[in-house]
Amino acid sequence: MFYSQNNVTSGQRNVFYILIAAVFLILAARLYQLQIVQYNLFMGMAEANRIRVVSQEAPRGIIYDRNGAIIVDNKSQYNISVIPYELQRNREIYAELSKILQIPEEELRNRVKKNWRGQWLPARIVEDVDFITLTELEERRLELPGVTYSLQPIRAFPSGTNLSQVLGYLREVDKNDLKVVKDYGYRAGDLIGWNGVEREYENILRGIRGISYVQVNVYGQEVGRIQDKRRIQSRIGNDLFLTIDLELQQYAESLLDGQKGAIIVMDADNGEIYALVSKPDYLPNLFSGIVAADVWDKLRNDPEKPLYNRAIQGTYPAGSTFKIVAAIAAFERKIVDPKATFYCRGGLRLGRREFKCWKESGHGRMDLNNAVINSCNVYFYNLIQRMDIDVWAEYARKFKFGECTGIDLYGESQGVIPNKAFLDHKYGPRGWTEGNKLNLVIGQGDLIVTPIQMLRLIAAVGTRGKLVTPHLGLRYFDRNKVQFFPLNQSKPDSISDIHESTWDMIQSALYDVVNSATGTGRAAKSRGLDIYGKTGTAQNPHGEDHSWFVGFLKSESRTIALSVLVEHGGAGGGEAAKISGNLFRLIQNRINSVQVVMEEQ
Amino acid sequence: MRRIKLPNPSVSNLNVAVVVTVGLLCLVGFLALYSASLNIPAPFFKKVVGKQLIWMILGAACMISVMFLQRKTLFDVAYIGYWIGIVLIVAPYFVGVSEAVAKRWLHLGPFRFQPSELMKIWIIFAIARYLSKTELVISDFRSLIIPLFLVIFPLAIVLRQPDLGTSIIYLMLVFPMLFWAGARVYHLFIICAPIISIVTAFSFYSFFIWVVLLSVVLYFSKEKLWLAIGLFVFNLSLGFVTPVIWNNLKPYQQNRIMTLFHVDADPQGSGYQVIQSQTAIGSGGIFGKGIGHGTQTHLKFLPEQHNDFIFSVIGEEYGFAGVIFVSCLFLILFLILINQAYHQRDRFSSLIIIGVASILFFHTAVNISMTIGLLPVTGLPIPFLSYGGSFVITCFLLIGLVLNFSSERPR
Repeated sequence: MFYSQNNVTSGQRNVFYILIAAVFLILAARLYQLQIVQYNLFMGMAEANRIRVVSQEAPRGIIYDRNGAIIVDNKSQYNISVIPYELQRNREIYAELSKILQIPEEELRNRVKKNWRGQWLPARIVEDVDFITLTELEERRLELPGVTYSLQPIRAFPSGTNLSQVLGYLREVDKNDLKVVKDYGYRAGDLIGWNGVEREYENILRGIRGISYVQVNVYGQEVGRIQDKRRIQSRIGNDLFLTIDLELQQYAESLLDGQKGAIIVMDADNGEIYALVSKPDYLPNLFSGIVAADVWDKLRNDPEKPLYNRAIQGTYPAGSTFKIVAAIAAFERKIVDPKATFYCRGGLRLGRREFKCWKESGHGRMDLNNAVINSCNVYFYNLIQRMDIDVWAEYARKFKFGECTGIDLYGESQGVIPNKAFLDHKYGPRGWTEGNKLNLVIGQGDLIVTPIQMLRLIAAVGTRGKLVTPHLGLRYFDRNKVQFFPLNQSKPDSISDIHESTWDMIQSALYDVVNSATGTGRAAKSRGLDIYGKTGTAQNPHGEDHSWFVGFLKSESRTIALSVLVEHGGAGGGEAAKISGNLFRLIQNRINSVQVVMEEQ
Repeated sequence: MRRIKLPNPSVSNLNVAVVVTVGLLCLVGFLALYSASLNIPAPFFKKVVGKQLIWMILGAACMISVMFLQRKTLFDVAYIGYWIGIVLIVAPYFVGVSEAVAKRWLHLGPFRFQPSELMKIWIIFAIARYLSKTELVISDFRSLIIPLFLVIFPLAIVLRQPDLGTSIIYLMLVFPMLFWAGARVYHLFIICAPIISIVTAFSFYSFFIWVVLLSVVLYFSKEKLWLAIGLFVFNLSLGFVTPVIWNNLKPYQQNRIMTLFHVDADPQGSGYQVIQSQTAIGSGGIFGKGIGHGTQTHLKFLPEQHNDFIFSVIGEEYGFAGVIFVSCLFLILFLILINQAYHQRDRFSSLIIIGVASILFFHTAVNISMTIGLLPVTGLPIPFLSYGGSFVITCFLLIGLVLNFSSERPR
């Protein structure tokens, strides 16, 4: 049998040769482009596919008081997470988990859905489980595949004191904050100090996040560590030592329990704050980790304003405590003869208005000294009528009223010191009268101060003109360098243009306020202690008057100043003076005992 | 046309070059599969690589048995085989366990088999036999009608399965065979024209360019005027009608057509498979990441790595050097096949070798183009490298034919 012969030409063959070769040339060119020209691009994409960065949260630094007692510590919170993929495969796990955690199955499913990041990535379902639950989960680990727990460092407050507004709180960094803090290495969801010393000393307290690299497959499942990338160990933040004396702080908090107000105790020579209380406050434990939204809302909407730091943010009329400024100005500028007297009949008529003294029966004849001791309003009404309002304001400004003290806490108020320009602006050049001056000199009217400003005034009086910057940060321990570094070492300003005789006069008067038989501050008197002070009543249109006491204790080489404000504490400064007396007694004890300890060391 | 006698096979003139290139390709493919299944905790023969070894041994056995078939026998069974093949590709519609999407599997006891793979061989045989008719005048357009029918009939069946990749292979093997047999290029162009008219009709500019090209070709074709005008009008109206028909199709009908282009392709959408494949190949660099160290492969970022994207595994683990080596092996194999077809003494065996070369070439070119993002993902495996029973057996059968025909003194 015969078949047709092959009569194909070499031309036909060559067409095939060329076409095939051309196709392979194109393929080779493309491979060259991918593997050699664009190698770096695709290598990067392959690495990005397989490498997942896992960060390990670092605990923040520990906060101590001045004597080394722990105020804020860290503890570990255990969070339970589940791998969604495993739970989809084995639906009974939900029922089991629901029994152990005592959370309805439906709720568990919702939380998985809410925190879903991928079917192989753990989704958090419970935070802060107790040890018993954890043990139970650990025991049944084999029956519960895909259930994991992780450790998260949170804040603990073992001291028993609140120090709420001083310590402040942490908050999760959100998208808006990120614009500001991104350059400092924060990521959304990180905790950042948002108030108090946690905010002020964020750089010291913040730990360094640890980073490790794991290899993941296409499902996001971890399949081992990556050897050629160095992991970074997480590091705890540096330790902060506050100027607070825990025992004094605790006592001060107890003295204001159930009341509203503020107490600040400070070393008048260097501005170290021993105690700072603002009541009502809150339990710092509420802010140990991420704050639940309902807790946060409740605190924020509380009409008592527990988040508000009355000691530095609260603005009040100064009341009679502000007569100190007028007395100093008058003596210094020789506006009146200190020995000269004015008669107090219980009030002063000015035009058609009667300006009252607090003592309705009147004080009788008063000189400067007695007027301060008895806090006689009528004397100061007479005094201020002989004084330019700007001179009075100038002296107030010497003590830096009307500006922040610079305390290392966020959100301090400035207060207001009215002068002629201020009153002209507010009421118009003819809109105010001598009456405004009369109100101002007794610490009422447009005058607004904060307890911390009053504290600096009295500290300056106690130290004859030192203007310290109140502060809470004492020093910190750098864990990296294994070394202490002091904080807030700046030298205090001083008022140089007030004569010694003026300081003598005012100090003697303030001593008598507490120690003489008729002194308004005698409730603060303590046997054997050199206590100086001035009471005040801030008129409050909304209720009972606020009670003020500012004073200082001279003890050997040290001067300890305090400022106490009790809202609705009643007239005459009795309530505030009584609290101050108790505080001074403990302060003296503390000075003695700490000195004993230091000498023993 | 002269008539000659068909020779009988003998091992003495075995084409060693083909055996060596195919052997090397199988070795590279086997190593790539071995690497891809390194981390799968299963016994060797339960893994893809073990199964592939079994398939290769079976394929080699088939290849050797084909080598010793009388060429006359092959010539005689060409048409019968073709019709048996047609019955087999229709069979899955009636007896195959329907696998929802693709009705391309035939179940024979424990084995699953794709008759559409074997059908490629029968199509070659039938066309080769028809074109070997001594009285055939190939320059006459009417001589091309039967070969076209021989392709279009099974193509339509396979397209309905739906299996676009195999259909393309069926279509692609007929043109080289017709050209090899001496058909006029102009006729082949006229055959292709309606398909191009339909495809380009969806874009105005592509259709415009096509119409210009068509008119130029027709102008220079020395075709009878009425026929040239008729062809032009026919293609033009096809282009105009197609979008209208498409828009009047019910959505499910449109979907049915669209699924043709989406079978096996891109389950995650937006070119995911191609991106991962390019990433694997590109990250291989010059010398690759080393066997067993391809992260794209072992962490499963690379999809379908045993079948359609095995070339990407080679690209990642052996680098540019590796893929160029493999490409050169393929290139050498195809050049040898073309050369051997040229030297065959009879037209039947020459055409069969061209058909074999076409199948292997289009599989290779389309598969590689798909892994490097030059063509859309169509689900065509690459010969000797990809895993897959029917395909491995088919490839070995094709090589068996080549070796069978190599055993004669060249013309």
